[in-house]
Amino acid sequence: MSQSLRPYLTAVRFSLQAALTLSNFSSQVVERHNRPEVEVEHTSAELLFAPMHISRNEHEQVLIEPSVNSVRVSIKVKQADEIEQILVHKFTRFLEQRAEAFYVLRRVPVQGFSISFLITNRHTETMSGAKLVDFIIEFMEEVDKEISEMKLFLNARARFVAEAYLGEFVY
Amino acid sequence: MLHLRPHNLLVQKTLSEALEANTNGTPLTLDRIVSDFDYTTLHISNAPENKGVLWLSIRTKAWQSISQCGSGLVEFILTKYSGLGGVSAARTEPGYDFTLQVDLSALQPDAIVQLSLLKVIIMSFPFQLAFDKVAQLMQLPEGSNSTDEVHKIQYRDDENIFIKPSNDRITVIFETFFQDETDKVFGKVFLQEFVDARKRNRSIQSAPQVLFSHEAPLEISRVVNQGRSERSKRFITFVLFPRHFQTPELQFSSVCHLALFRNYFHYHIKCSKAFMHTRMRYRVDSFIKVLNRAKVDEEDDAQGDASRRTISGRKMVY
Repeated sequence: MSQSLRPYLTAVRFSLQAALTLSNFSSQVVERHNRPEVEVEHTSAELLFAPMHISRNEHEQVLIEPSVNSVRVSIKVKQADEIEQILVHKFTRFLEQRAEAFYVLRRVPVQGFSISFLITNRHTETMSGAKLVDFIIEFMEEVDKEISEMKLFLNARARFVAEAYLGEFVY
Repeated sequence: MLHLRPHNLLVQKTLSEALEANTNGTPLTLDRIVSDFDYTTLHISNAPENKGVLWLSIRTKAWQSISQCGSGLVEFILTKYSGLGGVSAARTEPGYDFTLQVDLSALQPDAIVQLSLLKVIIMSFPFQLAFDKVAQLMQLPEGSNSTDEVHKIQYRDDENIFIKPSNDRITVIFETFFQDETDKVFGKVFLQEFVDARKRNRSIQSAPQVLFSHEAPLEISRVVNQGRSERSKRFITFVLFPRHFQTPELQFSSVCHLALFRNYFHYHIKCSKAFMHTRMRYRVDSFIKVLNRAKVDEEDDAQGDASRRTISGRKMVY
């Protein structure tokens, strides 16, 4: 892991731990409704806490938006060139299509980010909070690794294919 | 499977079956339509009066442009089949461009491969014209040995092959464009590797030089029609030197590979996409495993909430 990645992930880890103090909270507006307060049009500003924006550089950022009963975590994955852009887009879309298997994954990322998670009090009640934080940190590590590996693979394959084709012309 | 084969496997298989059945005395009744790359369709059917005679018809998008390249296309194809027993020209079937008549009783097993190469043989006609032209130009004295002859093969809707002979080389230019945004980016990576491969790898130094550009190369600038927006067009140039077409065998092998260039290249783009898909599938599974680790077991949970039950044993929900 590179020198600047570790402090970045540590910052995200501690911010998430701080944000994951969720309690069951019914809607103040509609009776018998219980909804993630970060997601609703907020008429009640007291339910939203200060959002935390952690940024390693302009390409890699995390936005944590806590509220009384839910936390929204949005991750911007590094996209250095158009190949990485396409790979990130394909990969996040692939995950989002399988969102129900992931419980905490949001189907649509927040504007300006690659992928978003929505953790509600229901999730923290059925899952261990520390392990959820571990999952998000591991996800961030693995996604970067996966994207760069896929890019390397694409280049390696292209090179192999081109050499194999041109090799046929060597007499 | 790394390389695409120039012959059509299904035609080969059909003809082998037909030949075998015919030698056993029970000729097959055939009416088979076989597709090939680049909007090519082949039709294998029995001649109406005799089951022992097959018709092999082909329709290909490139036919029209190839027949305009020079005269003698049909004669050229027939010379390729002249040495083979049982193969002769037939009246062209309606809806098709060219028909061969195959007499199964006189057909040799070796000829089947040659028959399944029909599409490549049609594609090789403009190349053959170019090879002949180069040989002609080489004889001429310096100064008068240039030509502005360019053969154009329109083998797909918006994609063409241009072949330009000159006195010491043949320039083959593929005009291509990508419909899909992803293909465009992947294609760029692949094409760049085609350009760089020769420089990097010493063992393929003698392969044709490959160039890549977004604008029409000067050789063909006057024959390229400016229809589709220029931004999405790509031009890939192969420069063939005389060592690539010295003998008829080399000529044929070069043509086979060039005719399949686009297919080969797109095939591998699709392959890498498919590979990435399996890879992502695997990665999703591993993420789900990590997430499931976070779940608290029901048993552990029970101790905390066990007391909060109604008299009927239901859990309290509040």
